[in-house]
Amino acid sequence: MEFDRELIVRAQRGDRSAHETIVNQFAPMVFRLISRFFRTREDVEDLAQDVFLKLFARIDQIRPQDNFPGWLAKVTVNTCYDELRKTRRRKTAMETYGPEIAGEKSVPPPEPDTFGRARLALQRLDPKLRIPLVLKEVDEMSVEEIARTMGLTQTNVKVRLFRARKKLATILGESERNTK
Amino acid sequence: MNPIKDFLDAERKRVFAPGPFFTERVLARLAQQRAQESGIWEVIPLSTRPVLALVLVLIFCFVMFQVIIPQVPQRGMIEAYLDSDQNPAESFLYNEGEVPSGQEFLDQLIAQEDQ
Repeated sequence: MEFDRELIVRAQRGDRSAHETIVNQFAPMVFRLISRFFRTREDVEDLAQDVFLKLFARIDQIRPQDNFPGWLAKVTVNTCYDELRKTRRRKTAMETYGPEIAGEKSVPPPEPDTFGRARLALQRLDPKLRIPLVLKEVDEMSVEEIARTMGLTQTNVKVRLFRARKKLATILGESERNTK
Repeated sequence: MNPIKDFLDAERKRVFAPGPFFTERVLARLAQQRAQESGIWEVIPLSTRPVLALVLVLIFCFVMFQVIIPQVPQRGMIEAYLDSDQNPAESFLYNEGEVPSGQEFLDQLIAQEDQ
C-alpha cells in the first residue's frame, strides 16, 4: 500500500489534516479486517473507531520508517481479539447465570443451513484459533503475515491453524450428526 | 460442491465499507478525548508531580545528611583549638597529630569519662 511517511510525522505533531488523511486512507483496510470477525455494520464501525483512537493515542511510538500498515493491522486484529473474548465471556456468563426463558427447551432451534452451520462452528471456536484460521482461509494471508499481525512465531501460527481446522471439523461433524 | 469452500467465498465477499461520515466521527471522538484529557482532574496530578518529586529529593537529602555527617563536639572548632584543655576526641579531630593506637585512644576516652 502506497503511503506517505511524512503523514506520521505530521500526525505526531497533532496535525488534524494528517489524522484525517490517515483515517480516509486506511479505513477500508480496517473495515475489511473487522468485517471478517463481526457481522453487523454497527459493531464493525464501533470497533473501527476504537482502532483509530488507539492508533492516535500511541502514534508517538511509531517511527516513520516502520511498516505502518502492518502495525495498524496488528492493532486492528488485537482489538477484534479483545472484543471476541469479551463477547465470549459475556455469552458464557449469560448461559450460566442469565434468566431462563420459559419453554425455551421445548422449542427446537431452527434448522441451520450449511452456511449457518459453518458460521456457527466458526463462532464456537476460541478467538485465538478462530483469528488465524479466518486470516488464512478468508483473508488469504500467508503464515508469515499472520505471525507478524498477531505477534506470534510462525510455528505457533501453524500449530493454531492445525488445531483450529481439527476443532472445526469436529464441530461440523457433531452438527451434521445432530441434523440427521 | 464443497459447502465450506462456498462459505469461505461468501465470507470473502462480505465486507463493510466505511460510511460517509466515519472520518468526522473519529475526529470528533479524538477531539472529545483530548478535551477530557486536559480537564482539571488530569491537570492536577500532572502539575503536582514535580513538586512531589522535589519534596522527596529534599527529604532524602536531609536523611542522608543526618546519617552520613558525623556529630561534632558541642564546642565549636575555634574554641576547641584555642582552649588549652582539649579532650582527646577533639584533639584527634582538630589537630594534625599522630593518630593514637586503638587501645590508647580508648583508655584516654575512658579516663575522661571517669573524671
